[in-house]
Formats: sequence, structure tokens, C-alpha cells
Amino acid sequence: MAFLTKLSKTSSLTRACLSRCMSHVPENTVYSGPTPQTHDQRVTLNQLKQKYKKGEPITVVTAYDYPSAVHLDIAGIDICLVGDSASMVVHGHDTTLPISLEEMLVHCRAVARGAKRPLLVGDLPFGTYETSTSQAVDTAVKVLKEGAMDAIKLEGGSPARITAAKAIVEAGIAVIGHVGLTPQAISVLGGFRPQGKNVSSAIKVVETAMALQEVGCFSVVLECVPAPVAAAATSALQIPTIGIGAGPFCSGQVLVYHDLLGMLQHPHHAKVTPKFCKQYARVGDVINKALSEYKEEVSNGSFPGPSHSPYKMNGSDVDGFYKELEKMGLNKAASAATAAAEKMSTAQGPVAEKSQK
Amino acid sequence: MAFLHKLSKASSVAGARLIRRLSNVPENTVYGGPKPQTSNQRTTLNQLRQKYKKGEPITVVTAYDYPSAVHLDTAGIDICLVGDSASMVVHGHDTTLPISLDEMLVHCRSVARGATRPLLVGDLPFGTYETSTSQAVDTAVRVLKEGGMDAIKLEGGSPSRITAAKAIVEAGIAVIGHVGLTPQAISVLGGFRPQGRNVASAVKVVETALALQEAGCFSVVLECVPAPVAAAATSALQIPTIGIGAGPFCSGQVLVYHDLLGMLQHPHHAKVTPKFCKQYARVGDVINKALLEYKEEVTNGTFPGPSHTPYKMNPKDENAFTKELQKMGLDAAASAATEAAAELEKTNRQQ
Repeated sequence: MAFLTKLSKTSSLTRACLSRCMSHVPENTVYSGPTPQTHDQRVTLNQLKQKYKKGEPITVVTAYDYPSAVHLDIAGIDICLVGDSASMVVHGHDTTLPISLEEMLVHCRAVARGAKRPLLVGDLPFGTYETSTSQAVDTAVKVLKEGAMDAIKLEGGSPARITAAKAIVEAGIAVIGHVGLTPQAISVLGGFRPQGKNVSSAIKVVETAMALQEVGCFSVVLECVPAPVAAAATSALQIPTIGIGAGPFCSGQVLVYHDLLGMLQHPHHAKVTPKFCKQYARVGDVINKALSEYKEEVSNGSFPGPSHSPYKMNGSDVDGFYKELEKMGLNKAASAATAAAEKMSTAQGPVAEKSQK
Repeated sequence: MAFLHKLSKASSVAGARLIRRLSNVPENTVYGGPKPQTSNQRTTLNQLRQKYKKGEPITVVTAYDYPSAVHLDTAGIDICLVGDSASMVVHGHDTTLPISLDEMLVHCRSVARGATRPLLVGDLPFGTYETSTSQAVDTAVRVLKEGGMDAIKLEGGSPSRITAAKAIVEAGIAVIGHVGLTPQAISVLGGFRPQGRNVASAVKVVETALALQEAGCFSVVLECVPAPVAAAATSALQIPTIGIGAGPFCSGQVLVYHDLLGMLQHPHHAKVTPKFCKQYARVGDVINKALLEYKEEVTNGTFPGPSHTPYKMNPKDENAFTKELQKMGLDAAASAATEAAAELEKTNRQQ
């Protein structure tokens, strides 16, 4: 600890020298490394409460790894949700059911490394909190302890789920509830079907949201319900509602990263982009174009060109290398080496020679 | 088994009806579900050998999850490498050392679900194959058995690594070798430093590549060596070399997915984009722009608009809903519901 304190106190130049002395750490530690303890960067529950009170919509996006977490941080998104939707968009399953707690924790940790500002919420995956209240508390604890999240989200509004939410809050863990279409329950729901479309179902949405508020949830996600139902629930609650496919009358919105970015453009996948999700980009097309260009350039030999072949041998070493290869009986290889050296220096010219390290 | 067989034989309409009755399976099974056994789609070692013999460069890109695997498949990339570079680009560590075998296997499985055409190669992560030859074989077996991969790659050219490679090949598992800069060895290398820049080191690159070929590897990756060294190794071998930061004289090239796509655009990260990597896109910029727009639209209330608010209640149910809320004493909620319905009706008509 003393070493780290010393490290953070030294000038940046000295720190850089110290880092370089530790030969197993890369020169540019960008992904982690000693960071100052600036907790005050992180979005707090109180800040969210202030936004809610002022009627400022809360933004939520899902993330599953370091780069997406960094992107959410840079864009200033309020809440970063490590969703069990990872099961579908990252792991390629048809539902959110297969993902395990261990796999979720890996996603959580990767996201925690990347997102310093957004509030971090981790989903409790299917099968890790339904068996008993103590199982639910255990899982929630792991998501914070081992997953480094700030809060958890669990699905459902049955009495057992509400009891579980209460116990988790009492364990000191902030909870977001989730009602309406709860993807872990497609078995009884009969598929990914919108909820609240008849009176009793609509009333149930409002009642369960209120029950979750009662037990201490700080927010409730409303998924795939008609807008008037979401409006009613939002009005009845004194905590923010986060909507997805629930219309514009919620206190905030959440979308899945891959869906909002148009990550998968294959016609086969275009079919399952949810109707309520707006595609703010077509990243899949950009990726496809880039990969096709890379393939083209590798196939026709133009990549790597001189500007992407930076490592050199000086002339005398090339000669020495040539001689050694000949000694080993690898005459063809020796010629190949010399020919390559010549081609590289012709291609790059005198300017490149100067910039050689 | 019989059921699945029957399902795949049923006509597509009947098959669709059968699937819809399985209430726990979503209507559009795109991520998995029953598939015909068309194993002949997959790139084979022989096809790669043909490419190599004809002098056609082999393309390799890394992938770590289902979407990236789909992208590589769609673009027709030859080999999909599930690299331990995941440790850095996916998990956010500074090196490739922290990633575990279990984590690698999760990546492998996700990729296997997405890429049906490219040859699938899984990296053996740091610490899972250096202790003994039997540990190496065990790990390689898991990568194929539990990871769904077609072949493995391991780093290094020391005698024990070559022995390990030989044992893995003898276990029936195809192996790609990896010499030059081997990122798992930055401890002794003193960082991510190019190799082969003096005579002794350059000769070592060629020798170890030859030894790996001798042990039965079907290809060797050459990382961060001067082009003449890569040219010499490529010439000396009768198996393809796959280069990265090794110049244009290799039999093929590999790049890391996130690097070639410009996935991370933060100035802080721009510093560590490798010099040898060409950015074929600036996906990070596209993502940033999209997220900012989403944030803007949520904040000013334009998202979701009517076209992204698809779920409706019929007016009769809406009225009954309002009444029910009033009975519960939730008058404000009842008004909110009515107003919401009216506003939606108005904006829908305006459209």
C-alpha cells in the first residue's frame, strides 16, 4: 500500500520511469494500473434521485465488456447495466436462461474496469435467486463483492421475488426491480410477449411495481408494456421507472447496446431487432466493410505496406543474419532475407531510414 | 434425438408450428436451435494448404464473442482466432496474463456459435500449458472438447514448448505455433518488444519456427519481427506463416479485431494502438456518436417516439384499467394513464 501511495504522489515523469522499471508491465498502462482513489466521479443514488425530482430523464445502456463500458463512460450515460442479455448478444443463445453467475461476474468485472462514472448495476441471472431468499442474498452479495457492481437488478413481482428483493435491500445492496415482460420467465409467458395488454395484467404491473418500491427498490424497469400502463405505474411510484418498449412516459429509458448500435446486420438477425429499439448507428455494416477491406488488402498483398511494417534490422545485422542462415544450409532463406531487406528499404526510402529506432 | 430429427425433417411450416408450440423457445431462433449437419461448410486444413501452395494469402482475425464471430463468417475470413488478447481488449487488463482457461472456454463457445465457416483456433492462455507436457495436452483437449474449437495455438519455442506441441499433435489436435514476440513472456522479454532485431535473435526465430514445424504444427505465427526475418522463416518452412507486425512476406496475416476496427477511440487508448495495425474503420467514433444521440433523445424526450412505442391496449381495456386504478385509490395514476393514451392517439394521428 505504501508503495502505491508513494507512486501516486510522485511526479508523472518519475512514475513513468518507475512503471518502466517493472519489466513485466507494458509501458503504456491504459487498461488499469495504479489509479487515484476518486470515488466522487461515480454517479450516486442521490444524483439519480435529484434527476428524477427535476424531471430529467435517466439514461441507461447495457454493457458487457471493457470497451463498451469505456464507451458508455465517455458518452456520459447515467447507468451502465451488465445485463443477462449477454446470454443472447454476447454468447449467442436464444434466451437469457443459459448464462451462469460465474459468467456474469466475468462480464461485471470487465465492465467495472472500464466504466468509472456511470452507476454499475448487475443483473441476477436465471436460476441464481429463485430457490430461496438466502440464495438471492448470496448471489447479490457476490455480484457486488466479486463483480464490483454498485447495485443489482432482479426480475419478477411474485411474492417470493418481492421477499427476496427486501432481504437484499436489508443486506445493504441497492436493488432495481423489473416488471412487465421479464425475459427469464418466457417459459410461463409463452415467449417474448408484451405484458399489461388486458386489465388484470395491467393492474398487476402497477401493483408489483408498487410492492417493489415498498420493499426498498430505488427504481423499477418496465419492459414491453403499453404506454398508458407505464404512465400509470410511473405516476403511482415515488421512485424512477426505467422503460424499454414501454413508451415515453417513464422516468428514464434503457436499451441493449448491440441493438441500439445495429451491431448485427445480417438479414437473418435483422428479423429479431426489437420493434421498440431505435438503431442509432449501423455498426454491423461498418464492421463488415472494414473486414472486407482487410481481407481484400491481405489477399492482394497491399497490407501490410511499409507504414505498417515498422520493425527493422540495421544493415550489418542483416548481413550477419544472411551468413548465419547460409551456415545452417538455409540458402534460400538467406536470399529471401536479403531480398526482403532490399524491398523494404526501397519501399520506404531515406525518410523511413531516419525514423528507424 | 428422434424428436430433433423429426423436427428437421418436417416441412418448414410444420416445423415452425412445432417450434412455436414449444413455449419456452422464442419465435425467431436465430442464435441457436436445430441446424442441419452441414459440416462441409467449415474451412479445412487441406483448404488452407491449397491456398498456401497457390500463394494465396491466408486471412486471420481474432474474435471473442458471438457477434464478432458472425462478422468474420460473413466477411469470409479464413481463420477465426479466439485469442488470449481477450484479456486486454475484452477484460481490460494490461497484459494477456490474467485470463483463465475457463474464461477462454466461454469465449471459444460463444465464437463457435457464431462462426460456421472459418477454421476456429483457440489460444492456450498463460499458465495452462507450461507446467508439464500432460498439462498442455489436458488444456488443448479442453479447448476442443469444451470450447468447440478446431485447433489450438500456443506460444514459445523453448524445448519444453516444442515437446508440448508435439504431444498435442500426437493427441490428434492441430497446432499453430507462435514465435517472435510472445506476449505471455513479457516478463522475460521486458515488455511488448519486437524480437529478431539482432543476428542471434533472428536466427532463433527461424530455428524455433523450423522446430515447431518438425513437431507437427500446421502453421506458425510470427509476431513483431523485422520483415527480412519473417521472409527467411517463411522461405525456410513448408507450412504457412501468419504474420502480425512482421511485414508483407508471410503466407498470411492476423490482426486483433478491436485494433483493426478502431474500437477504442479515446485519446488515452489511441496511444496503445499498435504501430503495425491498420485501422480499417473508426468504429469507436461511430459508437460514441450513436450513444450521444441516444442520450440526447432520451434527455429531450424524443425517444421513444410513436414508431418505437408499439404496444397498445384497446380503448375498452384502457377504460376498465382507469376505473380499476381509481377503485384502488390511485387517481393520479388513472389520470396519467388516460392522458398517455390520449397523447399517443394524437401523435399517432399526426403521423
